[in-house]
Amino acid sequence: MSDTVLVVGAGPTGLSAAAGVASIGKKVVLVEKEDVLGGAPILSGYAKLVPSGEWAKDAIGRMIKRVEDNANVTIHKSTRVVKVDGEAGNFTATLSNGQTVNAGSIILGTGFTHFDSINKPEWGFGTYEDVLTTTQMEQMVGAGKITCPSNGRVPERVAILLCVGSRDRQIGREWCSKICCTVSTNLAMEIKELSPSTEVFIYYMDIRTFGLYEDKFYWKSQEEFKTKFVKARIAEVTRSPDGRLLVKGEDTLVKRPIVIPMDIVVHAIGMDPNEDNPEISKVFGIGLEKHGFVDRGEQYTSSFSSTRRGIYVGGSALGPEDIDTSISHGLAMAMRAVGDMNALVQKAA
Amino acid sequence: MAIHEKTLIDPSKVLTSDHLVVDGVDVSGHWNTMILPRTLREYDDKFEDHIKQYSGAENVHRCWQCGSCTNSCTMYAQNTDFNPRYWIYLVRLGLADEILKDKDIIWQCVSCNKCTNICPKDVRPEGVMKALAHWIESEGHGEKSRSTVFDEEFARQCLARGRIEDSEVMTNFFKDTQQDIKEMALNGWLGIFVARMNKWTELRKGNIFRFLTRTPIMHSLHMGWSMFFKPKTKSWGRTGEVLSQYVKEQKELAHG
Repeated sequence: MSDTVLVVGAGPTGLSAAAGVASIGKKVVLVEKEDVLGGAPILSGYAKLVPSGEWAKDAIGRMIKRVEDNANVTIHKSTRVVKVDGEAGNFTATLSNGQTVNAGSIILGTGFTHFDSINKPEWGFGTYEDVLTTTQMEQMVGAGKITCPSNGRVPERVAILLCVGSRDRQIGREWCSKICCTVSTNLAMEIKELSPSTEVFIYYMDIRTFGLYEDKFYWKSQEEFKTKFVKARIAEVTRSPDGRLLVKGEDTLVKRPIVIPMDIVVHAIGMDPNEDNPEISKVFGIGLEKHGFVDRGEQYTSSFSSTRRGIYVGGSALGPEDIDTSISHGLAMAMRAVGDMNALVQKAA
Repeated sequence: MAIHEKTLIDPSKVLTSDHLVVDGVDVSGHWNTMILPRTLREYDDKFEDHIKQYSGAENVHRCWQCGSCTNSCTMYAQNTDFNPRYWIYLVRLGLADEILKDKDIIWQCVSCNKCTNICPKDVRPEGVMKALAHWIESEGHGEKSRSTVFDEEFARQCLARGRIEDSEVMTNFFKDTQQDIKEMALNGWLGIFVARMNKWTELRKGNIFRFLTRTPIMHSLHMGWSMFFKPKTKSWGRTGEVLSQYVKEQKELAHG
């Protein structure tokens, strides 16, 4: 009977789970495929996080430090799990660095992959330099200066297109990515803060800033930062002879076609299932749901269970998720993992 | 010619020609109808701030287009072209030309304030309607209303002399609004109005005193006199000039 928990993925979910398990006095082995910890917020260079407004590198940085400084946690970077044998209470995981880990339970915080805008070529990403994704725009905010990549001018107008890679049967993404509306309204405020002369337009089908994000982000962005919301799903982004971008679509509220000049177009990219999920599914022997995210087991009395006993899954591996919720998933999974091991110990005794 | 979704077509965008020759081919007749594209190609980014300077429109940027205002609107129930939600959207994006297409109905808002009471974002749509009507008039996008013509004549006399002269206000008002006084007196309401003041019957009955006291003889004479010798408020002096300057400055402060 092992009292070690294997945590896979060192993003907000995994870091939270690792710290949780360690705080109860159990051993943690944390495996991360990249050479840095922190997951998407660090790897993609997010700017200020929703809803705290703290810079990602500070907030997630503290989570990393908490785990790194904990003697109960062993960290393997640039490492993958390649094989899992055994059963709940007694798994043997083989790592890509050749080591093996004996673990009582396994926690998956394997996360998501950002939608690749190349898959919507009509919106100009990869064709025009001034078409960016939300993550690229966050990096620009992080660098502290808003300019058009093509020639360095300050943009008069920025258009943010929502639902890029979400709610789109054409490209097999039928889900709402949940966080992009809030991220975009937050980004609009950050752009306006750095570049007050820039007008920000958000092209939307619906605005889904759930819960308290409604007034703290959507309303604030509209009322205090004068973001303009236009109800149109853009059909095409092209370039006019003067070098500016043209967004083309139908404004459904004026029932008229629009072709409006913009200086920067930002794709509010959605959350895809982790591109490694087919491999993860095979290695851990767990099922995926119909969109390709990790499938749940019984939800009500065995929360965060995957379809294999003793393996738990949470955060954005289950579907589009925000950072705060992912962190609480991590803690909940720590509870499940340790609780189940205790139950097995009691049963054996 | 079959045109689908006719409601979407602005009549000013329909081109027809009785006689038209294209590349030497005679295409005269109704089937040469062409419709100019109705694509919107630009927003006026400054327009919303401009409208917000008119009193009532301060919160227009809060609108999220739920449509509660239009749903609750008294005027919308009469005429579905009266759509506050739509005009607020046009203000936000700076589509002034689209608003001006409705300049002949925007003023019809009856200020019942149902919209303002129901608005979940406290946009105060009733105020926006007022601001728009004000904008249309004050920037010369529509004809001046008769009440504005009256107000202007009234104010002009006040500033010039510190008081008004009733007959002058009325005659100038009728003149400025192209109403023919002679015609109204002979065949219109003015004639009927004056006839009702006629106390001729009293004279016929022999009630001379009553006739004299009830006929506005002196008043008429006074009015006639004042048309030529215009009275001024005592020691009016430069007061009118100073007031005019103040009003001008306040206007500039409010509307830039």
